[in-house]
Parts: sequence; C-alpha cells; structure tokens
Amino acid sequence: MKGLHVFGLSHAYGDNQVLNNVGLMIPAGELVCLLGPSGCGKSTLLRLAAGLEKVQKGTIAIDDVTVATPKMHLHPEKRSIGLMFQDYALFPHLSIIGNVTFGLLGMAADKARRLAMDMLDQVGMASHADKYPHMLSGGQQQRVALARALAPKPKLLLLDEPFSGLDTNMRQTIREETLNVLKHSGVATLMVTHDPEEAMFMADRIKIIGANGTILQAGRPHEIYYHPNHEFVAKLFGMMNHFEGVVLGGRVETPLGSIATDLREGLAAQVLIRPEGVILESNGNGPGTLVEVTSSQLLGHDNIVRVRLNNGEGEELYVRVHHTFEVELKKNISARVDHEYAFVFPLDEELGNTHAMAPDPAVVEPKAAIAE
Amino acid sequence: MATAATTAKMAEGATKVSLSWLNVWTLGTVMIAMIVVLPIAAVIFISLTPSDDIWQHLASTVLPLYISTTLLLMIGVGLGTLIIGVGTAWLVSMCRFPGKRIFEWALLLPMAMPAYVIAYLYTDILEYAGPIQAFLREMFGWTTKRDYWFPEIRSLGGAISMMTLVLYPYVYLLSRAAFMEQSICVLEASRVLGRGPVRSFFSVALPLARPAIIIGVSLVLMEALNDFGTVDFFAVSTFTLGIYDVWLNMNNVAGAAQLATVLLIFVIFLVLAERFARRKKRFHHTTTKYKALPGYLLEGRARTLATLACALPVIFGFVLPAGVLTGYSFIHFETAMNADFLVYAFNSFSLSALTAVLAVAIGIFMAYGVRLRNERLLKVMVRLASLGYAVPGAVLAVGVLVTLGTVDNSIDAFMRRTFDISTGLLFSGTIAAVTFGYLVRFLALSFGSVEASLGKVTPNMDGAARSLGHGAFSTLRRVHMPMIRGSLLMASMMVFVDCMKELPLTIILRPFNFHTLATFVHQYASDEQLGEASLAALSIVGFGILPVIVLSLAITRSRPGHGKEQAQ
Repeated sequence: MKGLHVFGLSHAYGDNQVLNNVGLMIPAGELVCLLGPSGCGKSTLLRLAAGLEKVQKGTIAIDDVTVATPKMHLHPEKRSIGLMFQDYALFPHLSIIGNVTFGLLGMAADKARRLAMDMLDQVGMASHADKYPHMLSGGQQQRVALARALAPKPKLLLLDEPFSGLDTNMRQTIREETLNVLKHSGVATLMVTHDPEEAMFMADRIKIIGANGTILQAGRPHEIYYHPNHEFVAKLFGMMNHFEGVVLGGRVETPLGSIATDLREGLAAQVLIRPEGVILESNGNGPGTLVEVTSSQLLGHDNIVRVRLNNGEGEELYVRVHHTFEVELKKNISARVDHEYAFVFPLDEELGNTHAMAPDPAVVEPKAAIAE
Repeated sequence: MATAATTAKMAEGATKVSLSWLNVWTLGTVMIAMIVVLPIAAVIFISLTPSDDIWQHLASTVLPLYISTTLLLMIGVGLGTLIIGVGTAWLVSMCRFPGKRIFEWALLLPMAMPAYVIAYLYTDILEYAGPIQAFLREMFGWTTKRDYWFPEIRSLGGAISMMTLVLYPYVYLLSRAAFMEQSICVLEASRVLGRGPVRSFFSVALPLARPAIIIGVSLVLMEALNDFGTVDFFAVSTFTLGIYDVWLNMNNVAGAAQLATVLLIFVIFLVLAERFARRKKRFHHTTTKYKALPGYLLEGRARTLATLACALPVIFGFVLPAGVLTGYSFIHFETAMNADFLVYAFNSFSLSALTAVLAVAIGIFMAYGVRLRNERLLKVMVRLASLGYAVPGAVLAVGVLVTLGTVDNSIDAFMRRTFDISTGLLFSGTIAAVTFGYLVRFLALSFGSVEASLGKVTPNMDGAARSLGHGAFSTLRRVHMPMIRGSLLMASMMVFVDCMKELPLTIILRPFNFHTLATFVHQYASDEQLGEASLAALSIVGFGILPVIVLSLAITRSRPGHGKEQAQ
C-alpha cells in the first residue's frame, strides 16, 4: 500500500506511557488527523514516523517499506517525508527560494529552482521568492513551510499543529488553501492537532487519542461528531449538558425526555447532550419541557443561551442557537432534544472504556497488507 | 500475529539500533576526551607513584610556604576583583553619572592586558630606579633607600594588585550581565516596600546576582593560579612557581607532579564552586517582565566618587600601562622592530590561529555530537574534556611533557625493536606539543561557546533539515554553522587571544630557542630590558582588545527590553 502504515506502536517516557498499541493506516491522497489533549503522545507519534525518535515497540512502514522497528531505525533524511512544524522552522539564513530548494538534493540548480518556483506559485508565494523568512508574516511563513515540505515530493507529509501559530482570521483561509494544495499533491498526510474544529475541517479521517495513549475512536469527522463512542470523544467538542440516570427498557430518562440506548438494562448511565442539540421553541405548549431563559450571549454567528428547567426551578442548560435570541421577548419557552446530538454512556468510566473500544480498523488491517 | 514488517521489505541503509553507540560522534567525542584528559591523569598518576623521598623533602621545606602564599594570593585577588568588579558593574548598570556610557565598555579593557605585562611595566615605573621614586627623592632631597618608605612592588601585595587590576573584568562582566538580567520590577518592589537604593542593592540585587558573581570570582581565581609571569618576576612563591622550580631547576618530575596534584585540589574546589553556582543560576530568573534599568541620577559628591571609582581601574589597568607601553615602543622602535620580532610575531600568530581553528572545529564536533545523541556517556566525556580550562598551565605542561615523553619513548622502543631505527623524541619539544597543550587548556572555551549558541537553535531546524533529505553532517554544514557563524568567530577569537597571551605552557613546552611574543616579552622583561620587548607586549595587548570590543557590544545588546528605551 502506498502511504503510511503504523502497527502496534507503544511509547513511554520513563513511567509515562504516551502511546499504547496504536495502529494507523493512511493511503496516499488521504489526510488523517490525530486529535487529542496536549501531552497525549500525538506529537510523539509524529516524531516516530519522521524518525526523530526511535521506536520502542511496534513497526512503521512507508510505501510498504519498513522504516522503523525496535531493532532498526532509518534516519529521517532517508525516509522521504515532509515535515512541517508549528513554528515552521524556516532556515533564517536562507532566502525563501533557498528554503524551498533545500530539500531538492542532487538536482541541477536551474531545475531545482524551477520546481521550487512552481511549488511557491501553488501556495501563492512566488513573488516573495527572494525575501528572507523574517520579512514574512506568519501566514506567509506557513505557506513557505508547506511548499518546502512538499517540494521534494515526499511519500508522507507530517503536520504538527500547522495552524496554531496563526491568528483566527488568517487560520480559516490558510486551512482551505493548505487543503487544496494537499489534495492536489495526492500525498498521504498525518496531521496532529488539539483543535477539534480544525480536525473536522481538514481530515478525511480522525483518530482520537486519549490521555493514556490509546486510540479511543477512529472514523470520519461525521462519525466522530454524531456517533462518539466514548464520553471523552463527545466532550472534545466543547461543553455538554449532563444528566444521569438508569437504563430502563432501552432508554434513559432525562428532564428533556427519554433517550434510546443499547446499554445493558439497569446500568447507571449518563446522558450528554450537545448545546446545539437542545431546541428552544417559543410556543410554550410545544412537546418539550418548560424552561426559563436566564442569559443570552451573542458569540458572533450564534448565541449561547442559558435556560433553567422546570420553568426556572431546575438545572441549568446550555443551549446554542443560530439566530439572535432576545431574552426579554422569550418568556414562555419550551425545550426539547434533537436525538442526533444526545449520547448515552455508562456512568462508570472503566465500563465506559470497555464499551467504547470498538475494534480499531487499523489494527486488523495488516491482514489486508499480507494479501497484497 | 502478522505485522507490517512481515509484508514490507526492510528499508535499505537503516541502522541497527543495538549498535547505535558505535557512532562517529560518540566514538570521536570519547577519544577526544580521553586524549585531552590524559595530561591531567598523567600528573595525578605520577604523583601517586612512589618515588624517592622528594615529597618528604618538599613537605618539610617549601610546601607550607607555597600553600600559604597561594592562599593569600587567592584571598587578595578574590577580594580585590570582587569589590572592583561588582562595584563598577552596579554603578554602570544602575546609576547615571558622567562617562557611564564610556565606562560600560572601557571597564573591560584591562582584560586585554596580561598580568605579566603590567607587572613589568609597574615595576619599571615604581622600582627604586624608576621615575616615581626618582621624582620623590629629587623633591624631598632623599638620597638612599633608607631615607624613606616606599611600597615594594616585587612582593605578594604587588602580585595581588597586578592580577586584581587585569582580572576584575571577569567579575565585572558576569555581575553586570546578572544585574542587567534582573527585572527592575523586583527592585521596584523592594523600593516600594521601604528600602532605599543602597539597602535594595544589598538585600535584593546582590543576592540575585550572587551565582554570577561566584562564577566570575572562580574564573578569576583559576586565572590567578594559572599565572606564572607575574609571580616569577616578583619571586612570589606560589604553587605555579614551585612546580616550575622543582621541574626545571631541581629536575624532578615526580616532585613537580606532586606539587601539581596539590594545586589541583585548589582547582577542584574552584570548579565545584563554579558548577554549583551555575546550577543555582537557573532558578534566579524571577520574572519575564523587563523594563529599562532605573538609572539613579547621581549628584554632587556621589557623582564624582562614581566617576572616580570607574575611572581608576581603567586608568591603572589599561590606560596608564598601555600609554607607557606605546611610549616605549616609539622610543625603542628602531631596536625592537627587527627580524626576530617578526619571527616571534609570526610564531605567535600561526600557533594561535592553528589552535583557534582546531579548538573551534573540535568544539563544534563535540557540541553537535551531544545535541544529536543525548547520551549520558557523551555528556560526561564532554565535561571531562572541558576540565583543562581550570587547570593551571604549569600543571598541564608537566602532564603534557610526561604524556608525550611516554608516547615518544614507546614509539622509539617499538621502532628500535622492530626496525632497528631510533625515532628519538617525535612530539616532545615540538610545535605539536605546544599546540596540544593550548588545545587541552582552551578547548572548554570554544566548546562552551559553541554549545551555548547551538542551544539557541530550535531542534525543529534539525527536524526540518533531516526530513528534507540532509544527513547529520550536511545539516550541520548547511543549517547550524551558518546560523551560529557569529559565535564561531567569537569563539575562535577568544581562543586566539588567550593563546597569544599564554606563557607558562609555552615556556615549558616550546622547542629549544623557539619564541613567541609572550615568551620573548617574558625573557627580555625579566632581564630588565622592557624597552626592547615593548613592541611585542603592545602587539599582544593590541590583539587582546579585539574580543573585548565584541564582548562590550554584545553585553549592551543582550538585555531583553533594553533596546529602544536605552536609545533615549
């Protein structure tokens, strides 16, 4: 298979296990995001794939060639990878064109320059070719770093938090541009981020790594968002409304109505509902529960509204609505659940893990590799 | 269970992890460290080998004198440099008074003066036949020595003064850097809490700068122990002089080695003090907020005193001796500027340049090796290789001679046995021996500065270059070396200048009849022919000023938050 294949990778710093039997497959042309909290080992996986650190347990192969096992180590310069850092690590003593041609070894100077200019053109930086890194803005440096990493036509591109150095306005534009360039190049890409929104936007598939270094869930962005199989995964995307109950007749009761689940009968369970999964309706006689609005904050394109259940007597809920919401005008309001945004997990975390551990596709995939 | 490895072929050119210690960087560094540490090990080894009763003899005769003199010298020079160094550093970094801008860099100038050079000069000026005493006799009508009292320059006190005058810049440099690093917020907090500027200095600024000051004083004391020219000229019986005496006049290797080992104990204390202070220094950054330093405006008598306090060390440590030296050089130019001078200058220059290039090359190799392979073995080896800087030249000289002598004899014996040829002494008494001695002594200087500047290059640069297909050597050459070019230049300059000034090693290790500027100055000045040697001495001082200039530029630029505000 073209692309990256990681199998059974475990890594520890002293007693701190940061990767735990992690598997991963990225075919050429696909972008996979590793998403997880800081310190969870996602950057370690990147460094291991790049060859900047030695494998303790497991195997890494690029384009069907094994590049690292605990017994052998191929140096990074021999792996044919592109690597892009959070701080871009542009060489300050080289011009932009000098940076981009840096990786074009053994190529005639004029050919290298032409290729580099072509690459710079793709990221819209051709006119800056003779400037130096310190003369560029953060966004421009990011584009140059991308061009530099892609110029030698790597078999695998590794991106370490590539957009976190940019300000919010810039970030979205650069993300889109980067995605275009990557799709155009057809390279297998592994990207590490702690920003779920970024992962959703960029990734073909997302792998979520938990604090103990195991992969909690892997899937397309849609699955991760709508079908989280673990409390941790569900909470990645921000604040959740939390209720506790017991599974009875395949459902768990909440003040907003009962939610279906396939958990064992009688199990103590928690229900997590996304703020966008609570629907407020001005008609107090609707199907939902009566609530009282306590505050409303405009965040730009949507509104965060806090409401109290039982017409102001009960728990507070956290609701995201897409239109301007004026508190004074909404006296008689009912709330109901959009079931797509409501998830049920066992209350006990230990049980939760065993339940949530769906087989990671990458762990079973090596058999397919054998068949090839 | 099937793994990816069973299907994929192994990559070509991969290294076996189990053999990874067998690596050019690790092996190279271990070898360099071994070779560099050899002379020191040899000294200790010989001193522990039982020999004739020289030790008994030494212990009952000269040893107590050597110990007490060396201790007094250390106390004197330590206190002198501490007071002058810290005092002037405080004044120029915290106060405003006339000439402050000039003193900031001028206070470093005495660094360019080797202690032995000002010793010769002041003797020339202050001795009985010198101009000062002649003037006094003239004025008061004294005729003989017994008519008046005048301090004897050729004494322990004289040696302390000479060394203090040229060594205080180490303390000045480091404590000034420490004062500049201190956040003004801490000082302001102290002021707001009701302590005046002077009490704030003693209760806040000084304790915060203490690690830096200890490092400075340790360096000064290492230099004081290393000094040979001054104590030889003044006949002050320190260890260094003792080693030289036992070695060359009594012709006793074991005795010299035993003295050298005792001296090493002094050095170990200094190295430990310095290491300890360096470790402590890391915790002394109290805040990251910086503002321009306050600049207390001094007025009236304080103003005059401050100016005077800063001017005197510069005048006596540099301006006066340099002036006299320049005068002598003009007067004696005809006799001094001859073929011999040019040969000696060439010798000094080429030896120093060669050592500088080698030291920096080896320093880069070791520092990059440590960066690449973060191994304990490497770090220990590198520390070992840096020991030479603390070891006095006389001790190293004994070690180098003994080591090279052993190597020469072994080669000679081997060649005679196998080929019936006598190779004689291959290394001993050659330029190679001198260069080796210099390298052992100054390697720490180049290594330390390369290591520090490499430390400022983010490891991501390595990652980027390596992932773009460049190997370790190529990355070093195309990324790191261009990025740290400035520090490499500075490092070679410092090694170069130290080699130019170097005396004790050169005197013992040089080939017969071979002179550098330093040995030439020493020989002529000892024979009271300072005039003939003045041009050579001036040349040494001239080269010595180069790193002083760079240092003084660097120190003003280095302070965070001190850029624009300072321009006002």
